[in-house]
Amino acid sequence: MSGVYIFSDKNDIAAEIIGFAKSAGKDAILLVFDEQTAKVMGNSGADKIYLVNGESELVESYARSIAQLLREEGAELFAVGATPRGRDLAARVAVYLNCGMASDVSTLSCGDGQWLTQRIIYGGAVQQTEVLEGLAVVTIPGGKFEPVSGTGEMVNITLAADRRISLEETMPIGHQGADLSAAEKVVCVGMGLEKEEDMQLAKDLAAALGAEIGCTRGIAEERHWLPAERYIGISGAVIKPKLYISMGVSGQVQHVVGIRDSQVIVGIDINEKAPIFAAADYGIVGDMYEVVPLLIKALSE
Amino acid sequence: MARIVACYKWVVDEADIRINPDRSVDLSKAKKKISDYDKCAIEAAVQTATAIGGKAVGLTFGTADARQSLKDALSRGLEEVYYINAEEAAQADGAATANALAAAIKKMEEVNLVICAEGASDTYQRQIAPRIGAVLDWPVATSVSKLEVTGNTLTAVRKLDDCLQTVKVELPAVVSVLPEINNPPIPTLKAVLAAGKKPVKEFSAGELNADLVPKTRVADLQGYVMSRKNLIFKDGEAVDQVKELVAALKKEGVI
Ligand SMILES: Cc1cc2nc3c(=O)[nH]c(=O)nc-3n(C[C@H](O)[C@H](O)[C@H](O)COP(=O)(O)OP(=O)(O)OC[C@H]3O[C@@H](n4cnc5c(N)ncnc54)[C@H](O)[C@@H]3O)c2cc1C
Repeated sequence: MSGVYIFSDKNDIAAEIIGFAKSAGKDAILLVFDEQTAKVMGNSGADKIYLVNGESELVESYARSIAQLLREEGAELFAVGATPRGRDLAARVAVYLNCGMASDVSTLSCGDGQWLTQRIIYGGAVQQTEVLEGLAVVTIPGGKFEPVSGTGEMVNITLAADRRISLEETMPIGHQGADLSAAEKVVCVGMGLEKEEDMQLAKDLAAALGAEIGCTRGIAEERHWLPAERYIGISGAVIKPKLYISMGVSGQVQHVVGIRDSQVIVGIDINEKAPIFAAADYGIVGDMYEVVPLLIKALSE
Repeated sequence: MARIVACYKWVVDEADIRINPDRSVDLSKAKKKISDYDKCAIEAAVQTATAIGGKAVGLTFGTADARQSLKDALSRGLEEVYYINAEEAAQADGAATANALAAAIKKMEEVNLVICAEGASDTYQRQIAPRIGAVLDWPVATSVSKLEVTGNTLTAVRKLDDCLQTVKVELPAVVSVLPEINNPPIPTLKAVLAAGKKPVKEFSAGELNADLVPKTRVADLQGYVMSRKNLIFKDGEAVDQVKELVAALKKEGVI
């Protein structure tokens, strides 16, 4: 069956990509690797669901046989959720299909035998439009398309896997607190914070607002004051809260990429020239050690 | 001696990019640098080579100006650098880049591990490591936060969205490492001076006999413009600034 072939290890992204395929007037064919997912995705609008059986627990290891399936079926696009597993699998499939690939696209549309994509480059400073002719591979982050509903046929299929890489151990990552990407309000601490003890200031502001705490990369990766999943930006979390307030964050492009979808952005920084102010709706130029306690007080009044 | 190859890209420093009022992109003032993430790949190669008594070497695919990167790369602990000097690099996509790098790796002797970063700091496509693996038909581990080689076996910890995975694979293999894998040190003066004397091997595009034709076409580049209110309270007493901010946020309905 020709159409858009879809995989994501995140069901909500898979559902959104199915929504895209249907809105583009294409058949949506979903690949899943376990029965549970097949069941959950049963009413997501896919025309066909392949339940893949095979000898590896690593989806990436099926790249070659997935590419072969796509070729045999006359697929028009392999659209994969942009997660670490998805990007890996997608890039390998692109090699076996000898085709182009656009990663982490923010828009995708289909034209006359070609796919048109947009994505950001240079840390977020520039938007690039790319054209892919014929069969192509794309990876798509969550939140880009609307899911649909509807049932389709379910087919069991056995695919060969690359067995050279073996899974020894899996350890769930304990996320501390709520998911940043789902938070309604976020207080973000930057390297302007002088000492680890001063994190209390951010905690107090977060408590006054009912917000989650995020940070810039240096706070997590250099100073280790917060876990890595708390940093926001191109290499970290991408958030879309109603309110984002930063304290001591300069607002370099790699960080700002992660907050662009926020409804309201507030920056507090001592340096009037800090780029965060160009990215902000509201800002206070001042010492956060003076401003933030006043803000906490004003909020609790 | 076993070679550990670190792939790196010579990229525009995004901090120097200027966006013109018509949203066109001005790169004319931009300096270039080794992609920040690739510094971690280089350091991972150096550390792994030290641990197993192998040789850490660099590999880059770039246009003529990537020659400026060689000394910098060599000052980071690599023993030699392989430089694919090709004009095709200017238009290369993931397919062309991986084909070039894989072809060079095939020409190098005794390579048992290829280390890439997840993505380059300019395009950040995150395709190259899995693509090289597929082109060479070597096993791949991406998103690696920790790696160890014992004998001929690589053990890697992969950091995925929902879990940490420990995987094992026989060499040769390809990995991509996350920036958190190490903190690349700033090269010492001594290392910078020594870099000038280290060997560089240059490949031309013709020599490699690889398909360097891009499969994606860039149709447009536009500067990203943020449209925000930009109401900045910078004068007067902090108490009053805070008052104004709180009033504004109430009006927005976000507090
Ligand atoms: C390839 C690449 C990827 C990257 N990915 C990310 C990413 O995903 N996320 C990320 O965050 N960064 C990322 N970075 C780093 C990014 O470029 C910036 O270096 C980083 O975001 C800066 O963090 P910061 O604003 O906390 O620190 P700084 O830039 O040091 O800013 C600190 C700010 O605090 C202010 N300040 C100091 N004291 C006070 C005070 N008392 N009161 C108020 N303000 C004060 C200063 O004026 C300054 O503006 C990446 C960089 C590269 C090259």
